[in-house]
Amino acid sequence: MKTIEQKRMNRRMTRKGQLQMTETIAILFIFFVLLLFGVVFYFRYQKIAFQEKQEELLAARAMESTLKALFMPELICSRGEAEPEDNCFDVLKLNATQKTMQQYLDEYYFEIFSYATIEVQETYPENQTWILYDKPKPEFTRKEPTFFVVTLRDELAGINQPEYGFGYVSVTVYS
Amino acid sequence: MSRKISGKSSHFVRDLPIGRKAQMEVTFNWVYILIAGTVILLFFVGLVTRQKAISEERLSGEVVEVMSSILAGAGVSEKTKNFIDASGLADYTLYFQCIDGVSEFGIKDRPARTQNSIDAIFAPHEIQSSRIVTWSLPYGMPFKVMDFLLVIPSTIKYYVMGNDAEFVNEFLNSTEGIERIYVSGLQQIEPEENLQVRIIDTSGTIIPGSSVPAQLQSFEDAEVSAVVFTGANQVDFYQKQGSSWQKLNLESVRVISLPGEKDAAKYAAIFAADDQMYWCNMGKTFRRLELLTKVYGGEEIAFGEAGGKIGELIKYYEVDSSSECLGHLAQYNDNALDALTKLSHATTACRLQQDSCVDLIVAADQLKIINDKLRISCSVSLY
Repeated sequence: MKTIEQKRMNRRMTRKGQLQMTETIAILFIFFVLLLFGVVFYFRYQKIAFQEKQEELLAARAMESTLKALFMPELICSRGEAEPEDNCFDVLKLNATQKTMQQYLDEYYFEIFSYATIEVQETYPENQTWILYDKPKPEFTRKEPTFFVVTLRDELAGINQPEYGFGYVSVTVYS
Repeated sequence: MSRKISGKSSHFVRDLPIGRKAQMEVTFNWVYILIAGTVILLFFVGLVTRQKAISEERLSGEVVEVMSSILAGAGVSEKTKNFIDASGLADYTLYFQCIDGVSEFGIKDRPARTQNSIDAIFAPHEIQSSRIVTWSLPYGMPFKVMDFLLVIPSTIKYYVMGNDAEFVNEFLNSTEGIERIYVSGLQQIEPEENLQVRIIDTSGTIIPGSSVPAQLQSFEDAEVSAVVFTGANQVDFYQKQGSSWQKLNLESVRVISLPGEKDAAKYAAIFAADDQMYWCNMGKTFRRLELLTKVYGGEEIAFGEAGGKIGELIKYYEVDSSSECLGHLAQYNDNALDALTKLSHATTACRLQQDSCVDLIVAADQLKIINDKLRISCSVSLY
């Protein structure tokens, strides 16, 4: 009698134990699902944040490169020892700088502009184009062009004074 | 009491009498909770520590990035002084150095740093300040080569002395907003706490041979320095060593510039940490000058032939061989082509040997005179 009762009790307790075990497994399963969900969410967020940061950096680099190009001593309209003319490129220097920058692109100018293309487009009186710097990134995924209006001074075109044209400088950066 | 139970415990537990088994199970549960809790706690502590390290790295990276942008912006805005409120960075020590033609700027003891082999940045080796002044000064030889960027923290006080009244006045007038004062002698220096001291000896006779004034002797050696301008455009850098001055440069350093107001090379010497930083940045300047002579004279200028801008000017005026413009450009005894050739040769020589830099000043001065003549008589100019 005692043995039967004991067996029943044992069986009841085993069932209870099994139930507890299933409960624990279920809780652990939910815990890991939630953890996985959190990890996936975190990494997706990090990926998006990283992409946004990259875009932000590219835009900043575009602005910085344009700024540097506008103030390059190789291009600016100098006036002896006086301050140079603002937003103005010297046409005679443009022709010469085109060659120099291409020749020393990897050796020197890459450090300034990295992967970029700098182009000066004349819109008046003619339509000449100067590609000063051209180094696109191989297999680039993103590019950011920036445009800035400039005057183009040609000292040999006018009579006793330089002639001014208009154009724009286009600076495209790659990442 | 000898009842046995079965459950989730192991065989060994199952075979125990119920009382002892219960005791065992309770103990086991607590041990289990303790271990699991510790593991979970360690996991989160690790996560937090890692995140903290990442955040600090990211922050220092951002600081370097922002500072780089500020310096890039300041570097191209000619003759401007920017007062940067760096109170957020007051806990960080920014460092600047220049070795073998490459400048490095970053936060001390942090991985974030940036290198630059183009721009000339003259600064103290270390800056920990809530306000930083950036001053951009154009350097011409004789045409504009680049803008020198002078980085000046508010924690350094500059004491200018000596009998070069013209320069002293110019310096005081042009450095408003910077901690500087004129004193007639070393004994008049009244240092303030938490400030570093740099003495500018414009006559070149005050610092050499004298000892460090008593009021500066309590300062750390690294906090007191002097820059001494001696005759013939030379500069020496001194550092306090105990009660005496130690000259940092073994050979005298030349200030390579044309005479005129706001001599960028002279100001650069005042704000550079030492002779090494000064000459390293000047090296970058001469490299750019070398490329600029190629813009003005083409590759051919190395052989005395006309290319680049001067080539186009000569070609234009060649139609009239008696033209005064052609004379100034290529025919007269003192002509632009010869002067530019000399400048090109002198630049290359100066990059190799400092002594040759004197020729650079002569060549640049000559080109400046011819350029002025060209502008007056022909309404064109080389630069």
